[in-house]
Amino acid sequence: MAFESPNIRAACVEATEFMDLTRKYRVTGVPKTIVNGTGEILGAVPEDAFVRSVVTAGPDA
Amino acid sequence: MALLSENDRQAVRGHLANLTHRVTLLFFTQTIAGPETAQIAKQILNELAGLSDKITIEEVNFILERDRAATYGVDKIPAIVVMKDGGDTRMRFFGAPSGYEFMSLIEAIIIAGGDDSGLKPESKELIAGVTKPIDLQVFVTPT
Repeated sequence: MAFESPNIRAACVEATEFMDLTRKYRVTGVPKTIVNGTGEILGAVPEDAFVRSVVTAGPDA
Repeated sequence: MALLSENDRQAVRGHLANLTHRVTLLFFTQTIAGPETAQIAKQILNELAGLSDKITIEEVNFILERDRAATYGVDKIPAIVVMKDGGDTRMRFFGAPSGYEFMSLIEAIIIAGGDDSGLKPESKELIAGVTKPIDLQVFVTPT
């Protein structure tokens, strides 16, 4: 998605190495996607649903 | 000792065979008192670079090059910023790229080294309509 839009940044975070972030975002299962620091997408969601969830996500980054 | 097995190397080399663009992986780390995963990350990246002449690793000192880290939004290490022909793809990897993250990194390199994200046309259309900044953090584990 980041490749498709200059407005999107995507980071893959190794949960076990950054426990402060893992706690902050209450990551108890993976994959877990945090959108703009608040929105949450749990699990490996199909592409259509994932893209829709991201583009309609909450507050600005 | 190599981290990638011969089988892994063969498979990855095949996946990377069709890269048409230059992919640079900016590897942010620190040499003194860095996390031990930074060493693992470095070795994986070096082994990866050996599998395609389109891939280059550029090591950046996270402590000494704060400005550069800030430019790329790197606030923790080890970190990998994926660049295509010298331009930022806005794809990042934090932590050692082993297991699931390794496969994601390979996918990111294939996307950066080609011309297509591989997403469906309807997804691309939705994404093209994004006008505000969106920041995604995907948490994964090695297994």
